[in-house]
Amino acid sequence: MLHDVQQGGIFYFIDSDYCAMTIVQNTLADEIVALRRAAEKRFSELRSVDDLEKFRVEFLARKGSIGELFDKLKTVPNEQKPGLGKQLNELRSFVESLFESLQQKLNPGKKGEEAAIDLTLPGRTVPKGTLHPITQTLNDIVAIFTSMGFAIATGPEIENDYHNFEVLNFPPDHPARDMQDTFFISEKILLRTHTSPVQIRVMEHQQPPIRVIMPGRVYRNEAISARSLSQFHQVEGLYVDRNVTFSELKGTLVTFAREFYGKDIKYKFRPSFFPFTEPSLEMDITCFICSGKGCPMCKRTGWLEVLGAGMVHPNVFRNVGYNPEEVTGFAFGMGIDRTTALRHGIPDLRMLLENDVKFLEQF
Amino acid sequence: MRISFNWLRRYISFDSTPEDAAQILTSLGLEVEKIEHLGKHLDGFVVGEIFSVEKHPNADKLTVCQVRVEEDSASLTQIVCGAPNVRTGQKVAVGLVGATVPRNQHDASGRPFVLTKVKLRGVESNGMICSEYELGVGDDAQGIMVLESNAVVGKTLAQHLGLDDVVLEIGVTPNRPDCLNHLGVARELSAAINGKLVFPDITAGKESSEKISQFLNVEIVNTADCPRYSAKTIFDVHVAPSPEWMQNLLKAVGVRPINNVVDATNFVMYELGQPLHAFDYQHISGKKIVVRTAANGERFTTLDGKEQKLSPNMLMICDSEKAIAIAGVMGGLNSEISEKTTSVVLESAYFSPLSIRRTSKQLGLSTDASQRFERGIDPNGTIHALNRASALIAELSGGKPLEEVIDNYPNKISSREILLRVSRVNQILGTHLSAEDIQKHLSSIDIHAEDIRTANSSSKTFRCTIPTFRPDLEQEIDLVEEVARLYGYNNIEDKMVSAIDFKSLHVSDATASDIARSWLEANGFHETISNSMIDSSSAELFSQHLVKILNPLSKEMSVMRPSLLPSMLQNVYFNQNHGTKDAHLFEIGRVYQHKSAENSSDVVHGFQEEERLGICLTGRKYARTWFNGDRLADIFDIKGIVESVLFKIPLDKIRFIYYDSSSPLTVQTIGIEINGTYSGYLGKVSSTLLQRFQIENDVYVAEINLSNVKKEERSFRQFSPRSKFPSVLRDLAFIIPKEAFVQELQSEIYKSSGNLLKQVTLFDVYEGKNLPENVKSVAFSLQFVPDEKTLTDSEIDAAIKKIVDALNRKFGAELRRV
Ligand SMILES: [Zn+2]
Repeated sequence: MLHDVQQGGIFYFIDSDYCAMTIVQNTLADEIVALRRAAEKRFSELRSVDDLEKFRVEFLARKGSIGELFDKLKTVPNEQKPGLGKQLNELRSFVESLFESLQQKLNPGKKGEEAAIDLTLPGRTVPKGTLHPITQTLNDIVAIFTSMGFAIATGPEIENDYHNFEVLNFPPDHPARDMQDTFFISEKILLRTHTSPVQIRVMEHQQPPIRVIMPGRVYRNEAISARSLSQFHQVEGLYVDRNVTFSELKGTLVTFAREFYGKDIKYKFRPSFFPFTEPSLEMDITCFICSGKGCPMCKRTGWLEVLGAGMVHPNVFRNVGYNPEEVTGFAFGMGIDRTTALRHGIPDLRMLLENDVKFLEQF
Repeated sequence: MRISFNWLRRYISFDSTPEDAAQILTSLGLEVEKIEHLGKHLDGFVVGEIFSVEKHPNADKLTVCQVRVEEDSASLTQIVCGAPNVRTGQKVAVGLVGATVPRNQHDASGRPFVLTKVKLRGVESNGMICSEYELGVGDDAQGIMVLESNAVVGKTLAQHLGLDDVVLEIGVTPNRPDCLNHLGVARELSAAINGKLVFPDITAGKESSEKISQFLNVEIVNTADCPRYSAKTIFDVHVAPSPEWMQNLLKAVGVRPINNVVDATNFVMYELGQPLHAFDYQHISGKKIVVRTAANGERFTTLDGKEQKLSPNMLMICDSEKAIAIAGVMGGLNSEISEKTTSVVLESAYFSPLSIRRTSKQLGLSTDASQRFERGIDPNGTIHALNRASALIAELSGGKPLEEVIDNYPNKISSREILLRVSRVNQILGTHLSAEDIQKHLSSIDIHAEDIRTANSSSKTFRCTIPTFRPDLEQEIDLVEEVARLYGYNNIEDKMVSAIDFKSLHVSDATASDIARSWLEANGFHETISNSMIDSSSAELFSQHLVKILNPLSKEMSVMRPSLLPSMLQNVYFNQNHGTKDAHLFEIGRVYQHKSAENSSDVVHGFQEEERLGICLTGRKYARTWFNGDRLADIFDIKGIVESVLFKIPLDKIRFIYYDSSSPLTVQTIGIEINGTYSGYLGKVSSTLLQRFQIENDVYVAEINLSNVKKEERSFRQFSPRSKFPSVLRDLAFIIPKEAFVQELQSEIYKSSGNLLKQVTLFDVYEGKNLPENVKSVAFSLQFVPDEKTLTDSEIDAAIKKIVDALNRKFGAELRRV
């Protein structure tokens, strides 16, 4: 049988018979916690200067409860001493601060204690992380559309020619393909040039009604410059149902643009061309950098091109097995990187992919 | 496409500004990307005539000139001039007070300056007579620029130089080949302003009485690629520079004037859209033109002097012996128009868009002509263009066109007919347009819409005849767009989608990536987005199944990344070189592999994409502050972050796998298993890899596959009742062999203690002083929580004894004594 009781130590083994008769022996750590609670409780009962003095004697005097615990510290194993010593010091500062706070209240004339704390010291901040500005833009756009009832879908970046072009009404050898310079993996496999193939994959697997947005990364084989990247991000939207109209497409885009760019923006629509939509449009808003006066960002036109859209082309519906006489729909898409650069006044798109901490931490 | 505003107004009367025209065209879908005022830099400069030149009374090198600068006025302007070549009677370029001289020849960097009224050595001067250099039209700075004697006094200099024009730069979309010429753009403009087109006057001029058939015949071997070939011959041509008006218009649209014959063909192409080619008749052997495909390996020297290697599918224009042009792309050096040319053959053909596009792509040769042919020109416009060009050449060069044209057109391409339902227009657009409105809009762009409503149909239907210059109009929807365009997109109501349709309402739900992203952001990490295309040689270190790009922009971006690690190291390297040594970064992005034998779950067969979370720590974990000492990050930082992120997702079935050996990429590597599936690793980047990326400091990384974590695999945590009885804390310290693993000790503690033990926390690890060399001390804090009643000491002691015994038995652990 072990008879190795050590007061305040971190281990003790006792004979079970003997144990029944001993008072519960707490570890020093437990005692520190208990004393803290006791001090807090007593403190809450203090009403007068006398009470305060009694409190000081009970806890803070050399022979007070905290002092006793410091005595016990001498008896604990060496490797425990630093940890427990620290805890005890913290306890003492805590009780001291309680004492001082009340002392000041009870003796308002004394200002010396207050002056001792320099409140202008910086706060103990925690490190500040950031989301990439592209992610922030994307999140904002996605949030607007999900609130309008759009679900989210994604698709592969390595696509086949069929989904990236053919089904979308870009016949082989058609000049429309020149609009999107393509990276090829093999003759029929490529890096998707837009998020539009995801529309097709959604329609291939689902029947109308469809209301979905499709964010993702796309690739164009174009020289990299301040104004153009070979890898960028798009958000595509698709709405298919009975009797969806061009007028509703415009309304949806206006709702989005007001939410995203601001309630007071001016906008205009103009015809454009995308093989997979017809009628096709592009939406311009007044340049929010120069308020429409003309600046380098808007190529001095006062307008910024913000998105492309249109009614889903009947050929596309036929290609995915929908009947264009029964359903109509609209699709829209926008580039995220350029939008991000505009929102934050980033002068060079290439900065978005450098991942310089000094850049990232600004957003 | 550059459209000259002066040229445009040859076909339509338009009184408003170029800016107004630009706005109208843009609203029709012909986006004007730029408006260029050609002579803007010459505002305030006019043609003047020097009436008299006198010596300056106070300066030897200066003269005092009286200059006439108004056409109908004798009034004179006094200008002091320093040029040695100024003479009475000269026509000169005069900058008036207020004009900005584009270049200052007395300024080293030639900066512009504004002319003011000045006194030069006591004599008043009201402007400046300018040199070529000062006007920015040439480099001669020695003397003033002397204009032709017939220059008209008082005309603006811009007018005189043919620069009083405005160019509209239009981004013509690939579906609108009909707008790659001025008449086509004028047609659009006229539709919008309800104007009337003025077609160019084609008076054939004096024709020779000789018939073309005596001098030329045309054979089309390949009629599929060349549905139509028309030609005309002109004799007695005098090749010379074309007149100024034509040169100015061509220059405005960016075409270099060459001579009256070639310029006339270019002019007609920019006017009507029909590319033409002029051959020197002298160099056509056998009075014969044959349209055939090239022989394999045939070589041919084009006008630009380059030798082209031909393939058998390329369509060629030949004579009886040799090739003389690559059809629709470029003519040959062997038959080009030169100063010696006296007889010309004009070609005006319609080639199959596909054929021209293939040839142009294969040769890497794209010309004004090929761009038009491949988009599709009007097959029924060849003769009109031929007559227009031949009339122009006759007029400009004195040539005599032979009677008649050759027109080889075996299968006529006729106008398409499309049915358009009024109801469909309004159904798609959400409008209430009347049949009459629709008909009116269509007719404004030459589409004839005939009402064919049958007795039993309630809705009006039009049979629309589509002009052949609009190959893009193929079906009903194309006409719906035309109507929308002409009605005006901005006149269609912006209808908010009425109400959210609750049956398809989507409740957004955070993915594992979303949660990881926001946790890492909240804990001081910066999110990166890196290029997916990386350097092939470093990619090979990470996978043998690389996705390679056939036509990369550069070697540095030639494969798709198989891992996030190279991206992360690239980012560390970039930051190190830009003065940032402490970096806490993460990236959520895809990695790509190509394993053709792989399973049927591939979306695109043979290619696998996976979304991964990469985390990367380098430099200090904490920066030095007044409340924190600094400390370098280490493996337990990255491990702790991974534990926290996964806990947060929430994933509870996590197992770390510890390896005996290290990989070439990472050391101190720990595998990560999620729900029983290997899902990634964490570790310290090996020094070999650091060297390869030229990184100086240690880097700790984790890479975890999150695409496998489906929503249903995430833990959905269950409530567990909290005990009503006090818990008891006990601390235990053990001396254990150095090589024993804490994790194993910890699980043994749980295993051996029974179910009262709720939590074990390691709070100290110590080795070194006061301890034998082969051991370490570990201390745990144990929390016992009773379920049913307050714990007695004996119960706790019994549990502790079991623990101590078990650890002793299994690991030789000794309870630590002082
Ligand atoms: Zn602007």
